[in-house]
Amino acid sequence: MKGIAVNIDIVMAKRKISAGELADRIGITPANLSILKNNKAKAIRFSTLEALCEALDCQPGDILEYTKDD
Amino acid sequence: MWNTDKSLTLSLVCTKIAIVLVFAAAIAFPIALRKGLFGEDGYVTAQMNDHIPLIIAIFIICCLLALIALFSLNRLLANIKNGNVFTEKNVRLLRTISWMCFAVAIATLVAGFATSFFFLVIGALACFFGLILRVVKNVIAAAVQLKDENDYTI
Repeated sequence: MKGIAVNIDIVMAKRKISAGELADRIGITPANLSILKNNKAKAIRFSTLEALCEALDCQPGDILEYTKDD
Repeated sequence: MWNTDKSLTLSLVCTKIAIVLVFAAAIAFPIALRKGLFGEDGYVTAQMNDHIPLIIAIFIICCLLALIALFSLNRLLANIKNGNVFTEKNVRLLRTISWMCFAVAIATLVAGFATSFFFLVIGALACFFGLILRVVKNVIAAAVQLKDENDYTI
């Protein structure tokens, strides 16, 4: 699939953190976290990305991935 | 105190009254025209007398189109009252209303060329309303896109 993919579930699995706990830590609703996880989000705020990186102890590149069309 | 909710309620009531009036006009106008209740010596009446069946047909078509537009308007207002303003459904309803205006314009222009200048004026007005509604529809469509983007920004 072409575009930016959000790989939160992979990082979450590595850190062994649940969706509810992550949503609580970064201060967004579980519904919004689900939108992010399912790649339905149209944009992500720097503040959300920063909170995610802090909560998951990772870099933005671990969460976001760009894929080209072949 | 006057507020948006009361304004919407008034618009809904006016729309429902308009629906009843269109129904009443659709029944009363052909009878009145056939019985010559509009007078004997007026310019419009003299022109109309030669084309009564055509005028009645066009009038009934216009009433049907107006009813479709009014029912769409009623649903649109109900949606707005329920808090659903910038939705694809409302864009579709506005598109329907605008097409109904253009259809009325075509019908009355046909009647205008066949009978009286009076119908040409109504046709031009209907066309103008249709154009305004298309612009409003385009604005709402752009707003739907913006709202969608905003809703999916996390």
